[in-house]
Amino acid sequence: MLNIVFYFQVHQPYRLNHFNVLDIGKNSPLFDDKLNKDIMLKVAKNCYLPTNKLLLELIKAYDGRFKVAFSITGTAIEQFKQYTPETLDSFKELVDTGHVELLGETYYHSLAYLYDRDEFLDQVNLHRELMQKEFSYFTQTFRNTELIYQDSLSDIVYEIEGFNTIITEGVDRILQWRSPLYAYKNYNKRINLLLKYYQLADDIAFRFSNRDWPEYPLTVEKFVNWIDKLTLGEKMGRNQFLNLFMDYETFGEHQWASSGIFDFMRHFPAEVLKRSHLGFATPNQVAELANYQQESLSFPEPVSWADEQRDLSAWLENDMQKNAIETLYELLPKIKSKGDEQLLRIARLLSTSDHFYYMCSKYFQDGDVHKYFSPYDSPDQAYIYYINALAELDERLMR
Amino acid sequence: MKVLMFTWEFPPLISGGLGMACYGMVKALLSLGVEVDLVLPTREIVYFPLRQPSDVDTLPAVFFEQSKQMLYSVQKFASLKERLEYIGISEYPESYFQLSEIQRFAESVTKEYWTSESISYHEQELFRQMTDNLVGEEDLIRKVQEFTMRADKFARVLDYDLIHVHDWLTYPAGMLARRISGKPLVAHVHATEFDRAGGPGDERVHKIEHSGMRFADKVIAVSQYTAQMIMSRYRIDSGKIRIVHNAFSIPDDAVRDKERIFKGPVILFLGRITLQKGPDYFMDIAHKVLQSHPEARFIMAGTGDMGRKLLRRSASLKLRHRFLFTGFLNRKQVERILRAADIYVLPSVSEPFGISPLEAMSFGITSIISKQSGVAEIVNHAFKIDFWDTDLWVETIKHLISNPDKCVKMGIDGMHEVNKIQWNDAAVKIRDIYNETLTEYSRNQD
Repeated sequence: MLNIVFYFQVHQPYRLNHFNVLDIGKNSPLFDDKLNKDIMLKVAKNCYLPTNKLLLELIKAYDGRFKVAFSITGTAIEQFKQYTPETLDSFKELVDTGHVELLGETYYHSLAYLYDRDEFLDQVNLHRELMQKEFSYFTQTFRNTELIYQDSLSDIVYEIEGFNTIITEGVDRILQWRSPLYAYKNYNKRINLLLKYYQLADDIAFRFSNRDWPEYPLTVEKFVNWIDKLTLGEKMGRNQFLNLFMDYETFGEHQWASSGIFDFMRHFPAEVLKRSHLGFATPNQVAELANYQQESLSFPEPVSWADEQRDLSAWLENDMQKNAIETLYELLPKIKSKGDEQLLRIARLLSTSDHFYYMCSKYFQDGDVHKYFSPYDSPDQAYIYYINALAELDERLMR
Repeated sequence: MKVLMFTWEFPPLISGGLGMACYGMVKALLSLGVEVDLVLPTREIVYFPLRQPSDVDTLPAVFFEQSKQMLYSVQKFASLKERLEYIGISEYPESYFQLSEIQRFAESVTKEYWTSESISYHEQELFRQMTDNLVGEEDLIRKVQEFTMRADKFARVLDYDLIHVHDWLTYPAGMLARRISGKPLVAHVHATEFDRAGGPGDERVHKIEHSGMRFADKVIAVSQYTAQMIMSRYRIDSGKIRIVHNAFSIPDDAVRDKERIFKGPVILFLGRITLQKGPDYFMDIAHKVLQSHPEARFIMAGTGDMGRKLLRRSASLKLRHRFLFTGFLNRKQVERILRAADIYVLPSVSEPFGISPLEAMSFGITSIISKQSGVAEIVNHAFKIDFWDTDLWVETIKHLISNPDKCVKMGIDGMHEVNKIQWNDAAVKIRDIYNETLTEYSRNQD
């Protein structure tokens, strides 16, 4: 049996204003409320609302045989509440079907794990509480920001937070000859690992509407035939997991409705479920479905799902990114010791990984993706506004 | 007395100190009764007949072509800005000229200018040197060619006693005008290619500078430092060099009260972020001062070709949020950043004059200036340090941070001193040079 595991990332950052030196010390607003609202309303209209509606229909139609997982950040939930409460309601409706799993992550979609373990745990707990509060859901599977993962992360996620599964990228340099289609264990065999099957996931997320791609157009039949072929290598009856992890905004936002992405998704479950050896699962079913001794995998260095390199270079490569994030995590303990909740909240909104992504200066193919997502003219501009915002935060701290 | 003046910058057409200097100088000359016909690199072919001090702000214009003048004279403009836009003058230098409309210079400047019998061999050589070097496909060179051909037009129709040109961009225009009218030429040196390039620079520019200064009847240097450069590097006869230091007159509407942005001491660099101004020294200094004074904030205000490099360097030096960049600032924003600063720093590698420190001092900001600058010759209440002596800059700034009362007192003394450095005094010197030039000139004619 091959189980298709859909996990969709739902995230929106609080983007910064074009914050200049002369704006410092005047209580000028740090975040671009108008831009954040405009983007949230646009994405809700193009993606969240129509896709949630579609998924709800599909889940109901297949009565539990079709299921998906979401990871929804705290900053996304807050902006739903601020700008589009009906979007939050539609997610609740999905969760209420009982066939949707919610994953745990950092509330602020941050890179805190790499810089401040205490802050990381705080943000993980804040997120868990938020999922409890909004969805009455207790998260059991963990995804770190941008699927960043390394061995040491599994220790604290398992020991302190008690998650039983972590999902991350199926990185070739770790897997080597192994297949991402099996459930693995972490380096010391204590927690399950599920690995993204990036070739097929990216066919949907990145290549679906690309007319230069030789496989264009991607039909449901073609895609399910590819999936079908993956089962041929398994002759011992082991359950496989095809992990299709992607940004939820793939639907209707990165791939426009006119590309046929919604029709694709609408017809996908039926085509899969025609075949008795294919089905759907959520990450928290791994333990019951893994009918074999799970091999352990070691990730000595951090990996992620971003760019060709699948490492941290999208956020933490150049000097601007490093100076920016190190400055933030130097200020954070001072803010915490002052006990000013308002400043702490601003610092945490500034911990969202997107801010560092905008400063990325790798201008190759990946640079285009960065540019697509950035509200600023250049990495330099993004850096200038961010550093100015931190200077402002420090001034408020000294008040 | 009436002067035909060519300059590349004049507010609102301004990118640095040259525009500020010309503005202050012309305004003061007008108040002394000197009349100025001003030619700028505008889109339309116009000159500005300036007759009274207030004209420097309103910029009354006359079109060269009568038909265009007719159209212009009946135009109604809602604002000064709108009128200046019609003429093609703005804060953005891109609007200077339409490049496509520029004719080929070499074809247009007729050879009669340097082949005629009436001109000495020496003058012919200088003229040839200028025209041979004013070649190239760069936008700037082509704009200078266009500007020079306009000078030909104005030199023929306008009536004037003397020609005054500012820096190499307008030297060819001045040479042409002198050839056509036979009136004496004063070449004003605000900066040379040696200052700007921080190295050998562009050979063509050196040649044009050399021919312009040699061709001129008098050369005005903005400092002793520059006069020395003109003598040693360009071999100009010291007998025709005069020194007139620039001045600074604060605009009437300027607000100068302190308005802090940061709680810690603010150290400011204000100017083009380019090699000449020593911005990389500023960053080295910041790096060292911040190690013992993390409460200090260093601000680099302005734009320039080294901006991007230095932004990245500030990150690689891990200067955190203690070294900040403002990007481009307009006049009002410059005022606001000056009001927020405690210490002004100008570590120029080579600064013929440097008006910016005078402006900073007029705001009561304690200033530290490079010894390699002209402004160091006229102010006493400022620290003067060799640009390369980073350790001394660092010690001085640390000393001022640790002794804020001393810093404030130095700033106030500097402010009083600068308030006395008025353009009027400089203008009197310039008028005297005009008179001297005209006297010598008429003596030679006889």
